[in-house]
Formats: sequence, C-alpha cells, structure tokens
Amino acid sequence: MNDDPEFEPAPTRGPPGPTAARIGGDGLPSRLAVLIAAGAALGLLINLAHPRAVRFASFAPPRVCSAGDEHTGAATPPAVELLSLAEVASLCGDPHAMVADARSAARFAEGHVAGAVHLPCASSRIAANAALDRLVGKETLVVYGDSTEEAMPVAEELRRRGDRPGLRVAVLAGGFPAWSQAGLACSSGPCADCGVHR
Amino acid sequence: MTPSGMSLRYTGAWLLRLGMGGLLVVAGLLKLRDPSAFAVEISNYQLLPSLAAYPAAILPATELVLGLALVVAPAPWRRAATVGVAVLFLFFTVAVTSAYARGINIACGCFGGGGDAIGPLTLVRNLALLLGISGLWVWDAPLRPAAPATPAQPS
Repeated sequence: MNDDPEFEPAPTRGPPGPTAARIGGDGLPSRLAVLIAAGAALGLLINLAHPRAVRFASFAPPRVCSAGDEHTGAATPPAVELLSLAEVASLCGDPHAMVADARSAARFAEGHVAGAVHLPCASSRIAANAALDRLVGKETLVVYGDSTEEAMPVAEELRRRGDRPGLRVAVLAGGFPAWSQAGLACSSGPCADCGVHR
Repeated sequence: MTPSGMSLRYTGAWLLRLGMGGLLVVAGLLKLRDPSAFAVEISNYQLLPSLAAYPAAILPATELVLGLALVVAPAPWRRAATVGVAVLFLFFTVAVTSAYARGINIACGCFGGGGDAIGPLTLVRNLALLLGISGLWVWDAPLRPAAPATPAQPS
C-alpha cells in the first residue's frame, strides 16, 4: 500500500486513457464545481460587507462621453468654452496650451491640427488619464472633433477628471472640418508621442 | 521516468503552482479592494456591460480560492483548480483579444482598477499563462506505477 498522497493507484481496468478522457474522471468536475461555488459564495459575502460594494440592481456601465451630463443643467454656467478658429490658432506654439483630437484614430491619422494629441471619446480612462498627466503645467486645453458636438462631451469629461480650477477647457467651434477648410496648420500620421493610441 | 527526471518534474510543477497560484491570489486580493471599480473595468470591455456587476463580485474571490487551491490543496483538488484556472485564463484571453480586435482602448483591469492598456503584450502574457497552466496540468499529473508488462502473445 502506498501512503504517498501524490500517488494514484493503477487503474484496475485497462491502461490510463488519454488526458482528455481523464479530465472527467476521479470526481474532478464535482471538485471544480465546489471550488467555483466556494469562490462565488465568498465573493458575494465579501461584496455584501464591502464599503465599495458593487450593487447588482443599480449598477450601470459608465458612459465615458456622457459623464458630464449632470453638469448641463440650465442653471449651471457652461464650464467648457467654445473658441473660434482664430482664438485656437492664436494658441499655436503656446507652451501652456494643449490641443486634443477627439476623433477616431483613422481620422486622426488622415489629418489633424498640428501638434494635437489623439484622445478619442472611446479611449476610456487610460487615454484620459494619460492626457491629464500631459496637462501638468498647461493652462488651456482645446478639444476638437468632427463637430462641436462630438468634442463637447470629451472636453466635459476632461474638465471633470482634471479637477483643476485654473485649467481652461475649450472646444474648437466647428471642429476639424472648419479648421481644415480655413487652411490652418494641419499635420497627418498617427500620434507619435501619445502613450496610448489606437 | 528516471529519479532525476521525476525530481525535475516535481520541482517544475511546484514552481508553476507557486507562481500561478501566487499570481491569482495577488490579482484576486487587488480586485477585492474595490469591487465597484472592477465592475467598471469589466464593463469597459463592452461584453454585456450591464451584467458586469456579477463577475465583478464573483471573479476576485474565485481567483483567490483557485489560487490557494493550486498552492496548498491536496492533489485531487489541485487538479480541479488547474482546470478552473485554465478556463479562467482562456476566458480572460478571449476578452482581451476581443477588446483589442475591436480597437477598444481600455485598461486591462487584470489586477484591479487601472493598470496598463491592453495591447500585444497583454495578449502575450495571457497566452504565456495559458501555456503555463497547460504545463502544470501535464507536470502535476498524479504519479502512476508502471503498467505490468503484458506477456507477448504467441503468434
């Protein structure tokens, strides 16, 4: 008799089958079910007592581009400014200003405002956080898209996340089409120095 | 198998168990710190985001239990945990691949809130984990005695 707990006695009927066949043997499925059930039960219990518990009934996935909805009430003054082409053009070369492109990566690569960083609406928190890191020392952030409406939620989100009272967050009126049609400085290609870009 | 081969296999399996189990325990504990943030990370994958609260509550503790089982449980339970971890890693790999293929730029969430953005490195890491757990399945197989030699059949 072998007392080693690692030792598995030889099968009494025939040689051991192939690995795939043995996965279902030796009570493995029931043990797996027990482990998963234990994990699930423990998780639910911990969640029940957790101060940062996730609520099943009220959980709603965040909509990154609409995170500023709560700030758009009629009594609240607009926190994001709307800047004209001339005003944005005057910020070119200003080391305290940053321009962010909220369009898709493909549209960005086709052409964008010279010096702009790529920050699409769908980029979620990573790109937004990376952009916020780049905002250190900046006083003005201009966001643009294919239209004013496309850029506004991204600008709102950045203003909310940035939480810097002195930061001026603005949107380019008319978006990139207006900028391009006015013949203002553009460049093309992917965002070379963006930490996260897709 | 020779004694030195057995020893190598035993050591390899033990190291793999320790590595994989430890990784799962750490990942589970980090995720348990903030289930709400983890639910957001899961919903960012845009795979049934409205249901993200359920895996957010269940997954971290399941990782913890499976990780602990890999390290300290008796052999039959370890085998079950190995299969569970393999399924978990496969699920993670599919989720990351899916998000990457759709061009969704999100944090992995592999160790709780934030973290690196998913990319080729995340995929490689997940595939390496899958490979590791497959290796563990093979190396950590129960020892079986050599089958008795069957007498040659007279022709």
